[in-house]
Amino acid sequence: MNKRVRALSTMCAAGALALTACGGGSGSDSDGGSAAGGSVTLKLVAADYGEKESNSSKTYWNGVATAFTAANPGIKVDVQVVNWNDIDTQVKTMIQSGNVPDVLQTGGYADKVADDLLYKAEDVLSADTRADFIQTFAQAGQVNGVQYGIPFVSSARALFYNKAVFQQAGITQPPATWDEVRKDAELIKAKAPGVTPYALPLGPEEAQGESMIWELGNGGGPTGKDGGYTLDSPANVDTFRWLKANLVDPGLTYANPATTDRKTAFADFAAGKAGMLNGHPSLIQMAKDGKVDYGVAPIPGKSAPLAATLGVADWTMAFKKNGHRDQIRKFLDFAYSKENTLAFDETYNLMPVTQSTLHEMTASGKHQDLEPFFALLPQAAFYPLGDTTWDAVSAELKKSIGTAVTGDPAKVLGDLQKKAKDAVANK
Amino acid sequence: MSLNSPARKASRPGRRASTGSRPGRLGPLPWIAPAVLLILCVVLWPVYEMVRTSFLRISTSGFVRGSAGLDKYRKLFGEADLGHVLISTVVWTLAVVGLTMLLSLGLAQLFNQRFPGRRFARWALIAPWAASVLMTAIGFRWMLNQTAGVLNTALTDLGLVDGPRDWLGDPSTAWPWMVFVAVFVSLPFTTYTLLAGLQTVPGEVYEAARVDGASPWQAYLRITLPLLRPAFLVGVVINLINVFNSFPVIWGMTQGGPGSATATTTVFMYQLKTTDIGESAAMSVVNFALVVLMVLVFLKVSRWNGEER
Repeated sequence: MNKRVRALSTMCAAGALALTACGGGSGSDSDGGSAAGGSVTLKLVAADYGEKESNSSKTYWNGVATAFTAANPGIKVDVQVVNWNDIDTQVKTMIQSGNVPDVLQTGGYADKVADDLLYKAEDVLSADTRADFIQTFAQAGQVNGVQYGIPFVSSARALFYNKAVFQQAGITQPPATWDEVRKDAELIKAKAPGVTPYALPLGPEEAQGESMIWELGNGGGPTGKDGGYTLDSPANVDTFRWLKANLVDPGLTYANPATTDRKTAFADFAAGKAGMLNGHPSLIQMAKDGKVDYGVAPIPGKSAPLAATLGVADWTMAFKKNGHRDQIRKFLDFAYSKENTLAFDETYNLMPVTQSTLHEMTASGKHQDLEPFFALLPQAAFYPLGDTTWDAVSAELKKSIGTAVTGDPAKVLGDLQKKAKDAVANK
Repeated sequence: MSLNSPARKASRPGRRASTGSRPGRLGPLPWIAPAVLLILCVVLWPVYEMVRTSFLRISTSGFVRGSAGLDKYRKLFGEADLGHVLISTVVWTLAVVGLTMLLSLGLAQLFNQRFPGRRFARWALIAPWAASVLMTAIGFRWMLNQTAGVLNTALTDLGLVDGPRDWLGDPSTAWPWMVFVAVFVSLPFTTYTLLAGLQTVPGEVYEAARVDGASPWQAYLRITLPLLRPAFLVGVVINLINVFNSFPVIWGMTQGGPGSATATTTVFMYQLKTTDIGESAAMSVVNFALVVLMVLVFLKVSRWNGEER
């Protein structure tokens, strides 16, 4: 009896301990181990661009960290690589629990600027490093004229078309205007059954990208000249009316673009089941693997091809919380050297953000299939990344802008504009 | 020493009395303490956190910017989608629970009969239950895929549809398929609950009914159903809660899309999470209140009906 009671109370105590432990957690080593002796450990959190263990970005960052510590013995770098699905949530948790990284490499930066968590780029980068960035990218890193976001890698969009399908449909050159897109799509529908003439992915994965490309073609876009949101501008509403009347209703694209994700469209193209679509450089490898003979052309606009295509960048940022400004500066200057960025871009077939690396990649002749994209980079148009409300607005766009091609465009875009205004009012 | 001893003596009976009564008063406490602690930690604490979060302003980067008062609730009730999401939730819950109970009554009756291979048939019934619901949902999503789905191919080959269709892209066809999958995964548990209920009905009652000249249908209505009542109620309550909160079926098949056209309140709450955590927490609180209310109302109504004393 006595034994049992004792065992039970031990169990209770152990249980209680375990339970309280689950409440406390984390937050302990938040000062990044800036211990005595001048030795500092920088905490680096980065996204994983590899799709398997063997080409994980961890290998790259560990290499950079080791080389950096060898050159700067007082500064260690603690590398943590997180996959794309989890990185947003994990960073949110780190910020909430006060356990913030020193350097973060991920998809967006502006929402952190809104909470005043980041160093300015000029505080953590030498003048030489800053001067090396391609101008459009450096500008896309600005919030109210001050650069916080440090571009890391980039990509740009272009029209991919399946040469075999075009030949089968009797089309000799890729479309340059919307009307030609419709005519070519009609030909493909008539002569190449089983192929989706134009793959229009407006599902939640990346609806904000596809919709912006089309809006740019009509002189529209998510924001106006003054930087305010113009989601329901006449140009944008017209764009969606055109899509609905000319591609969706006649069945020249997917039956339900609002639920079709970009990965589906890419997979279809790589399987030879899509005539044309807007793609980015990662589609090159997919098309090659699928033995699809593809062509790349400028993206068609309403009356002429787009002068500035959609550019996308991933970002690096430095957090103020741990006060490691000087060490971060040394590390970032090291990480942004040409050898390192070149190695990263070549590993993952990504586009550079610095002039020196762009020059190297263009001149080396090793990247011929990327060449159409190199030409597009310097005049790319970006999402309004510098707007601190963009993340929230972008999430709303992803969720529902696709319904504009099946429902009433004016109403869908009007609702979105209202939400964007609310987001601006509450920032 | 001598001064101490009376006190010690005096205290002794008291202590003895208290040790004598302790098992009576504190008896169950050490035994239920772990469970109580567990409930505190995994039920009450999260509820508290959920309610607290719904009154906070949290930036998209996860930074807490202070109190929001009732703003998040105002924003939630101002959502244009909320109305149809609530209606969908009610229809979804009633349709799935109703169909599940109806089919399970039949299935339980069937499995209660003696037939060769009954044991294997009963085992087979467990399969949809044993598989992860999310896995089942994703499996159906691929089976219904427009370009590669087997169900699409089968339906086309059988001549039931003209050509492969994007079933899950259009809300009007996505809902019936999701109801079908939800019923499919709810059947095993419900059938087993009812089967257990059926087996508690003593055979003599049926014998007596037969002697009195009752038809099988009368016997079912007058004997089986009333005696099945406790098992049936358990099945309904658990299914109501499960289906109302059902997330994996819908998320796995449509993610609530296009927009929120195939979302129930639980899925809608998850969709809100990407834009505003505070508002999402407010939706959770509303959800929590709804499910508690629903169960209370249901229990009240069913007990009031079942007063047989």
